[in-house]
Amino acid sequence: MTAAIATLIIGLVLGYLGQRSRMCFIGGIRDFILVRDTALLKGLIAFGLTAWLAFPLVGLIAGTASGTFGAADALTDVVTMALTIAGGFGVGYVSTLANGCPLRQHVLAAQGATSSMAYLGGFFIGAVIFHAWAASFLLRLLP
Amino acid sequence: MTPQSTTVAIPRRTGVRVTAATMGIVAGLLAVVAGAFFEVRPPEAYGVCMACHGRDLVNWTINALAGTQLTVAPASLVFPVLTTVGVFLGALIGARTSGEFRWWNPDNSFKTFLYGVLVMNCALIAGGCSIRLLLRSASGEALGMMGFGGMAAGVVLGTYWLRWRATR
Repeated sequence: MTAAIATLIIGLVLGYLGQRSRMCFIGGIRDFILVRDTALLKGLIAFGLTAWLAFPLVGLIAGTASGTFGAADALTDVVTMALTIAGGFGVGYVSTLANGCPLRQHVLAAQGATSSMAYLGGFFIGAVIFHAWAASFLLRLLP
Repeated sequence: MTPQSTTVAIPRRTGVRVTAATMGIVAGLLAVVAGAFFEVRPPEAYGVCMACHGRDLVNWTINALAGTQLTVAPASLVFPVLTTVGVFLGALIGARTSGEFRWWNPDNSFKTFLYGVLVMNCALIAGGCSIRLLLRSASGEALGMMGFGGMAAGVVLGTYWLRWRATR
């Protein structure tokens, strides 16, 4: 229950800030290529740098290893690596065509964009499709 | 006789101004804090993810209602994480308080529905949406870095495709 309440509050903060800043985690790279605009790219870099610094610092305060810090197990399975890269590529490519990352689509839907509401419908139904059918197919590929 | 000028009333936009960099810093910090202090783990680097958290919410609800066994992350076994609900409500508050809420349809809804299905499936294959792939990379996870690299390549190719299609 702690996680649910915490994520609801964190989500509220991120949703509000995301709406006010028009933040998009794929829009930064897209805007830089198209018009050399770095506003959103700065947000992407700021997120990565902050998390990179915060993982060890927060881990020290909390007394836990709060990150994996270079887990080597991931590098033993070629199929998993290929699927991760392919999945990441799909996220980036399709999100660019959809004109925004999933966070941005949530924000646009909350601003009244009906096409983004349709996106969210597909997004959540996609989770059921994945675990009901796609995952079992993909698991056969893994050693 | 002077030509009549027409004026269009543009609604005055109010509200707090936030830069994307500020949003990035706050989001990065909250994502790490959520995992370290508020039990949003396992898996590691799970503090913020629109795809995985959305999957947890949908699958947990269907499991509770229909008695199915759809996958949820260990962090959501007792009660699902509510990031997606929070983001939607937070953005709704931001849009309402600043006068930026309006009903509009910028794209074909059937097309965007399919995009949603594809992005969720690709994100669950990669183990996270664009936010969590970056979060996993920042935590030092090699697989996360590969996923983020793939995502960046996808954005670059998608952007060049959009530009090519617009200029041909």
